[in-house]
Amino acid sequence: MAKVLIPTPLRQYADKKDSVELQGTTVGEVLTALTSQYGDLRKQLYNDEGKLRSFVNVYLNDEDIRYLNKDRTPVQDSDTLSIVPSIAGGRYAR
Amino acid sequence: MIKIEAAAWRVMVDHARATYPNECCGAMLGTAQGDSKTVVAAVPLENAFHGEQGARYELRQEDLLWSDAEARRKGMDLLGIFHSHPDCDAYFSKTDLENSCPWYSFVVISVKQGRFDHANSFLPDPDQTHAVNEELSYEVSEVIHG
Repeated sequence: MAKVLIPTPLRQYADKKDSVELQGTTVGEVLTALTSQYGDLRKQLYNDEGKLRSFVNVYLNDEDIRYLNKDRTPVQDSDTLSIVPSIAGGRYAR
Repeated sequence: MIKIEAAAWRVMVDHARATYPNECCGAMLGTAQGDSKTVVAAVPLENAFHGEQGARYELRQEDLLWSDAEARRKGMDLLGIFHSHPDCDAYFSKTDLENSCPWYSFVVISVKQGRFDHANSFLPDPDQTHAVNEELSYEVSEVIHG
């Protein structure tokens, strides 16, 4: 099973676990298993259209899945998935 | 509320002053119990924004990934992000809001003429349309503002 690391603020939606191990042969399958098991996580990760929120990125080990095969990226039992937000900003545009 | 211990606060303010007149950014690590957070360590990170950095910052996702791993190694949590506003107040700008993440506290440090002026913390919503003020306290040592 692949391991998914849960960011601190989201652990309240995952039985306070810092990681969970889930079945799945692709990134998409693992994420579906994650949000099926922990329904409250879905609202945090996905928008109303069912797409990952704009600030949510998923890494397979050290690689952004956008530069692999996105949701269809194959996952091995030894792999770790991380949920990493995009963060930026600046003082202009008040 | 978010409380920042002296050692972490010193790192944050020193980073904001060192990068002046550009914006700085970094990660805050510590512990949380419910909505009460204590920042024990701060990690200065590189502003990865391509362009004029006096009014913009961008965190590399790889740096956030590393910061989260570092927190786990230390038995702490990644609690939030800090960045500076050179020569203006510590408000949460439209640019800050539209590029935020609701999972973390966002501490904004105002640096004026190269010196710390004030700071505020914000909690943005999931739709990136609104942020509320979060009560912020920090421990100050004499050497910070010298």
